[in-house]
Amino acid sequence: MKKTVALALAGVLVAGISACGVGDDDDSSGDGKQKISFLVFETPNLTSEFWDEQIAQVTDKHPDITVEKLVSPTDDRTDYARQLLASDQFPDVLIGISPAGFAEAGNLYAWTDEELSDFVYPHNGAVDGKVYQLPANTQTIPLVYYNKAYFQQAGVAAPPTTYAELLAAAEKLKAAGIKPFVAGGQHDSLGPLFAGILGTDLYADNPEWMHDRRAGDASFCDAGFKAGAAKLADLAAKGYIDRADVSRDHAAVQEAFLAGDGAMYPMGNWFASGVDNADEPPDFEIGQFPWPSDDGSVVVPAFTGGGLLVSSSAKHLDAARTFALEFQTNQAYLDNSAKADGLFPAIKGWEPPNAVGDTYRAGFDLYQQALQDDAVVPAFGFEAGDDGMLPGVVESWDASAVDLVTGQRSVDDVCGFLDDEWEAAS
Amino acid sequence: MGGSLLTPKRSARRRRQRRADFALFAAPGILVYVCFVLAPIVLSFSYSLTDYNPFSPPTENVGARNYQDLFSDQEFLQSLRVTTTLTLIVVIVPNVLGLAVALLLDRRGWLYNGLRSVFFVPMVLSSVVVSVIWTRLLDHDGPVNHVLRSLGVSHPPGWLSDPDLALYTLSSIVAWQMLGFCVVVWLAGLQSVPRDLLEAAELDGATAFQRFRDVTWRLLAPALTINTVVLLISAFKLFDHVQVITRGGPGRGTTNTIAFNILDTGFTENRQGYASAMAVTMLVIIACASAVALKLLQRREISL
Repeated sequence: MKKTVALALAGVLVAGISACGVGDDDDSSGDGKQKISFLVFETPNLTSEFWDEQIAQVTDKHPDITVEKLVSPTDDRTDYARQLLASDQFPDVLIGISPAGFAEAGNLYAWTDEELSDFVYPHNGAVDGKVYQLPANTQTIPLVYYNKAYFQQAGVAAPPTTYAELLAAAEKLKAAGIKPFVAGGQHDSLGPLFAGILGTDLYADNPEWMHDRRAGDASFCDAGFKAGAAKLADLAAKGYIDRADVSRDHAAVQEAFLAGDGAMYPMGNWFASGVDNADEPPDFEIGQFPWPSDDGSVVVPAFTGGGLLVSSSAKHLDAARTFALEFQTNQAYLDNSAKADGLFPAIKGWEPPNAVGDTYRAGFDLYQQALQDDAVVPAFGFEAGDDGMLPGVVESWDASAVDLVTGQRSVDDVCGFLDDEWEAAS
Repeated sequence: MGGSLLTPKRSARRRRQRRADFALFAAPGILVYVCFVLAPIVLSFSYSLTDYNPFSPPTENVGARNYQDLFSDQEFLQSLRVTTTLTLIVVIVPNVLGLAVALLLDRRGWLYNGLRSVFFVPMVLSSVVVSVIWTRLLDHDGPVNHVLRSLGVSHPPGWLSDPDLALYTLSSIVAWQMLGFCVVVWLAGLQSVPRDLLEAAELDGATAFQRFRDVTWRLLAPALTINTVVLLISAFKLFDHVQVITRGGPGRGTTNTIAFNILDTGFTENRQGYASAMAVTMLVIIACASAVALKLLQRREISL
């Protein structure tokens, strides 16, 4: 009897282990539907229900496709996608991850020009000339959202238009006992502020800076980058950014600003939805202005991309492509993404629906004006593909921003470190 | 009687049968160990001799270069310093506090039984849950600083945002969680101390301190061995608390443990060959440190 039980247990165990090694899920259900996996991410704006609703809109239209939704467990969804790839679980469709690295390694499907015909900037974020991520949305990173009541209380009559005016406003706010900037310590919570500085100090002078860096013709120790890094460190040194805030993540920072924690909040335009859709609207009025440049010329950093990507090894590649394209161009999704996440869909002919809120509308108009004035530059740290940093360097840039704020590292140290990281990654 | 006398043939058959039974029962464990422990170690070692990067094929054999590079890699050396500091705190603090708590709880009664459970609760909680709770508590505007402000501290510490403080905060959280484990092991040790030895010492006129130093402490040697080795290994491979609470920050490498650095190098920078060299080095360090600690502490046990 004992032997029989032992044999049975051993058999079950061996079968289990074997299954771990050679498992190959049958992802076609018996009714002929093609099952695809879809990696999404959740934020205060993009809730679980939002994704379920958008997925259902496509699957209702394509009943032969079923979707298994995967949710990134951390803010760093690109990192999570890398882990899934390494463990042979790369999703069939992904949204909002950086294609860098995945594309070069052949993990992603390259979209054809015909498939990209509906997109306003069809070649944005290309890697070696091929587009792997649907260039679906434009995001301005950052606009500076500000608490009008605090400005009034501190005697700041109008939004600053030059960097000197920004510093003067920050000084008045600080003197009035108001924290000038609300910031955090992660990519989505401190990065936009740094991107604002580098947009005006670096990209305004040379919009091709990142391409030059890739070609070895530019360095993080160039005067433009160093000047930007010095400005960030200086804002913290003057007490305009609270060093203690670097432990905050994106959600905590947004919550803090809406709760009146400080006067200015440099953030991507997705914040507009946090204001327009808030269950309890803030008890103060929010204005917005572009991060001011030294000479007062308007510069609006923006990034177009962030859309869906398809795995080149998806078992049902046609279904995955169909789903991704349909999802990305679905009118209802575009309208919902504008309302829910403040996105500016870069799809030909798209106009904001009437239902968008005032904050969204103001940001959208500001971006349209910048487009007309040719004042749009890349958003440093948020670019993708050939336009962005090498894989892994963005994380070092994020950590360096925190080091500058905390005063842990000097500008020279940070610049040298980033050049070293670049070399290691190349 | 005669039935117990086996012929050589029957004896050999019985030995074969015993070996077969042993193999049958050992096979599942061996299989699991080989698949999930030995094979990954061998694979890691083989990767560590290459420049494997899943995003940059082809992979080339680089011999021992990854290991040579480790010793001039400031980031790795920083993570080694961080891990060593954290390990020292996590080995010493729960051990000392755990012994103090165990001495207080080494009494009979429902209150003490209840308190033992209270101290053990953090140990059974997921480290992710513990990390999330402490992150909320220690947030700049969290309850801890709120209390400090209400007590008149105008600028309470940035527990997780101050680069000079974050590592000690992180270490304290881990120490807090491990405290319950130490308390239980110390309590088990205390309860195995023969009462007659303590009574004899008391009759001989030994003070309470002398009884503890000369009787109790010496008989607690096995408990000290268990606590120290378990804490040493747990602290050295710490990852989950770092991932949830600080992600290696604030800034560059402030709380970047070796385990966190391995994941970061392997999956963010995609340098998986190099990360494997770090993993193998970490394994060697843990094995050596554990072996030395075990040897020293067990020698103390033997010398009783």
